[in-house]
Amino acid sequence: MRERRETMSETSTGIGTSNGHGATGTPMFQIENLHASIEDKEILKGVDLTIGQGEVHALMGPNGSGKSTLAYVIAGHPSYEVTEGSVKFFGEDILEWSPEERAQKGLFLAFQYPTVIPGVSMANFLRMAVTNVRNARAEAEVAAGGEAKPMTPREFRRLMKEKMAMLKMDDAFATRYLNEGFSGGEKKRAEILQMALLEPRMAVLDETDSGLDIDALKVVSEGVNALAGPGMGVLLITHYQRLLNFIKPQHVHIMMAGRVVQSGGPELAHELEAKGYEGLRAQVGAAV
Amino acid sequence: MSATTIDTMAALTGFSREAVEELSRLKGEPNWVRQQRLAAWAVYEALPFPQRTDEEWRRTDLRALKLDRLRPFQGFGLDGHVPAALADPTDAAATVTAGDLNAGVVVQQDARTLRTEIAPEAAAQGVIFTDLDTAFRDHGDLIRQHFMTKAVPSDFGKFEALHAALWQGGSFLYVPAGVTVELPFRAFVRATEAGGSVFSHTLAVLEEGAEAFLVDAYGSPSLDGQGFTSAVVEHVLAADAKLRYVQVQDWGRNVWSFMTERSLLADDATLNSLHVTLGARFSKSSIAARLQGKNSLAEMLGIYFGDGDQFFDHHTWQLHESPYTTSDLEFKGALKGSARSVYSGLIKVSEGAQKTDAYQQNRNLVLSRTARADSIPNLEIGANDVRCTHGATISQVEEEHLFYLQARGVPRTEAQKLIVEGFFRPVIDRIPVEEIQGFLESAIARKVGI
Repeated sequence: MRERRETMSETSTGIGTSNGHGATGTPMFQIENLHASIEDKEILKGVDLTIGQGEVHALMGPNGSGKSTLAYVIAGHPSYEVTEGSVKFFGEDILEWSPEERAQKGLFLAFQYPTVIPGVSMANFLRMAVTNVRNARAEAEVAAGGEAKPMTPREFRRLMKEKMAMLKMDDAFATRYLNEGFSGGEKKRAEILQMALLEPRMAVLDETDSGLDIDALKVVSEGVNALAGPGMGVLLITHYQRLLNFIKPQHVHIMMAGRVVQSGGPELAHELEAKGYEGLRAQVGAAV
Repeated sequence: MSATTIDTMAALTGFSREAVEELSRLKGEPNWVRQQRLAAWAVYEALPFPQRTDEEWRRTDLRALKLDRLRPFQGFGLDGHVPAALADPTDAAATVTAGDLNAGVVVQQDARTLRTEIAPEAAAQGVIFTDLDTAFRDHGDLIRQHFMTKAVPSDFGKFEALHAALWQGGSFLYVPAGVTVELPFRAFVRATEAGGSVFSHTLAVLEEGAEAFLVDAYGSPSLDGQGFTSAVVEHVLAADAKLRYVQVQDWGRNVWSFMTERSLLADDATLNSLHVTLGARFSKSSIAARLQGKNSLAEMLGIYFGDGDQFFDHHTWQLHESPYTTSDLEFKGALKGSARSVYSGLIKVSEGAQKTDAYQQNRNLVLSRTARADSIPNLEIGANDVRCTHGATISQVEEEHLFYLQARGVPRTEAQKLIVEGFFRPVIDRIPVEEIQGFLESAIARKVGI
C-alpha cells in the first residue's frame, strides 16, 4: 500500500510542478489513512489515494464500500466524523475547513442525489455561489499580490448562458427552483453546470452517471471532458464501467469495505468488468 | 388644542364611559356619532373578557396586558407635522406607505389625522379616500350604511365593541360602480407614545364592478411602556368588485395589537389580500372572507416572521356561504429566537354552497430551538359537492439543504438566509406588484439578520 502511494505521488508531483502550482513534491490532492464514522459506525477504514494536478481518476466499488462517504467527507459533510488520517489539497489540510471554505478553495462535489431547495431559483443560487467562490479567489489573488476583478451581473449572465448552452440546457432552467421537479438527467446536468461556473481545481463526481439515459450521459460526459484538463483534476466515483467509455481516466482504484484495495491503469476497469466485484474480492483476499 | 386639554387627557387612564364622552367632545362630533360610541361602550361593558376556555383564545395569554394603565387616546396636542419616518423611512411599515405612486394617502398619528390626499383623477371619478372623521362629517349616509353595521358589527366581540366606542382616525375608501383605480391608496397609522392606545379603522366600500388597491401599514418605534392597538378592517365588495388589499403590521415591540378584519363578497367579487405580520410584542389577527355571492373568490395570503419574544396569533375564516365560491389561503411564517406563533384556520362551507373550491395551507419554518409554532387547520362542511383541501407543516431548516449550499461556497449564514427567502418565495411570487415584492424581500432579509 505504501509503495503504491509513493508511485502515484511522483506522477502528480511532475504535473504539479510543470503547472507552477503547489510546492515541489506536493501532490495536488492526497488522502492518507483516512478513517471516518457516522453515528459511531466506521465506514472509511484507512483510505489512501493521491491525485495529481489535472489527472482523471476513477474510483469504483460495490455498493456500501464507502465511495459516497468518501465524497461527503472530502466535501465536509457534518454528519461524518474523521477519526484518523488526513486529506491534503495542495499541501494544506482541508479537514479543518468548513464546507464553504473547501468550495471556495477549489474543491467541488457533484452530488449523487442533488438536494431540492424550494423557492430558491437556479439563477439566484448560481449567482450567490459564483460570487462567493470568485470573491474568495480574488481575495487570495490580491493577498498574493495579484489583481482581482469582480464579475459584473452582465458577465455572470453571459457566462451562465454559455455554460447552459454547452450542457444543452434550456434558458428556462435558470428561473426554476433549485432541482425542484428536475428529472434525474436535469439534476445531473445542473450539477455539471455548477461545476462549469465554479471552475474548481478538483472535482469529485459521485455517481454522476446514475439515472442517466445514453443521450444525457453523452452530454454530461462532454461537459466534464471540456472542463477536465491541466486546471482541474477529477475523481469519478462510479459503480459501472459504462461511464468510463465516455470519460477516460488515467488511473482506476477499487474500493471495498472502506479502503482502496487495488489501483491501476484503465485496464483495471475492464478487468473488473470481466470478473465482477466478487471475483476481485476473492483476488484481493480475506482482508475485505 | 389647549394645554389644559392635554392635561385632562394625561389624567385619563383606563377605558371608561367618561373617556368615550371626552374623545367625542374633543373631536366635536355630532350627537348621533356620540350616541353610537356610547351604545358600543355599553356593549363592551356587557361582554365578558375573553377567556382561555374560548376556542379562539385558548392559546392566547392576555394576563400581561394591563388595560387599566393605558391612556384611551392621545396625540391631540401634536403640531400636525408628518412623521419623520415617512420622509426618512426607518421601519418597514413606513417603507410601504412612502411609495411615490399613489392614488391617495391618509396618515394617522396616534388619534389624529395628519394628512389626507387623493389623486385629482380619482376624485373626479367620484372616488372618496379620506380620514374617517372627514367621512363621518361629509359622507354620513355611506358611513351610517357601512360603518360597523355589516362586516364587523359593533357587538362582534369585546375588543370590537371597544373599538366602536373609541375609534380614532382611520380611513374610508369608496369606489363608485364601474370605476377602476390602479395605483394604490395608502393608509399609514403610527403610534408615538408609550402607554397609549390606537384604534384605527379601515372601511373600504367598492360598488359594482369597481376595482381598487389598498395598502394599510401600522408602525411605531419600540418604546418602554406597553402600547395597545385595536384595529378593525371592513371590506364591502359589491357584485363583480375587485379589491387588492395589503396590510403590513410593524408595530414597536411594546405594542399589543388586535386586529379584526371581515370582507363581504357579493356575486363574482374578488378579494386578493396579503397580511404581513412583523412587529408588536403580541399580535392577534382575526381575518375572514365571507363569500356571500355566488362565484366570488378570495385569495388570502399571509407572511409572518417572529423573533425575540414576539407572539403572533392568526385566525382565519374562509366562509363559503354561496355556491360556486372559491377561496385560496396560504399563510407562511418563520420563527426565530423565542418567538411563538399560533395559526388556526377554518374552512366553513354552508349548506347549499355546492361547488365550493377551498384551499388552505399553513407552513411554518422554525429557526431556533426555543421558537415554537402551532397550526390548527379545520374544516366544517355542510354541502356534499365541494372540494376542500387543507394542510399544515412545521419544519426546520434541513441540514442537507445547508450543506448543499455550503458545498457551493455559500457561507452557512448566507445559506440559511437563502433558504428562508426561498421558503417565503412562492407567496411573494403570488403578489403581482413589484413594489410589494421588493418590500417583502427586504423585510425578510432584515428579519433574518436580526
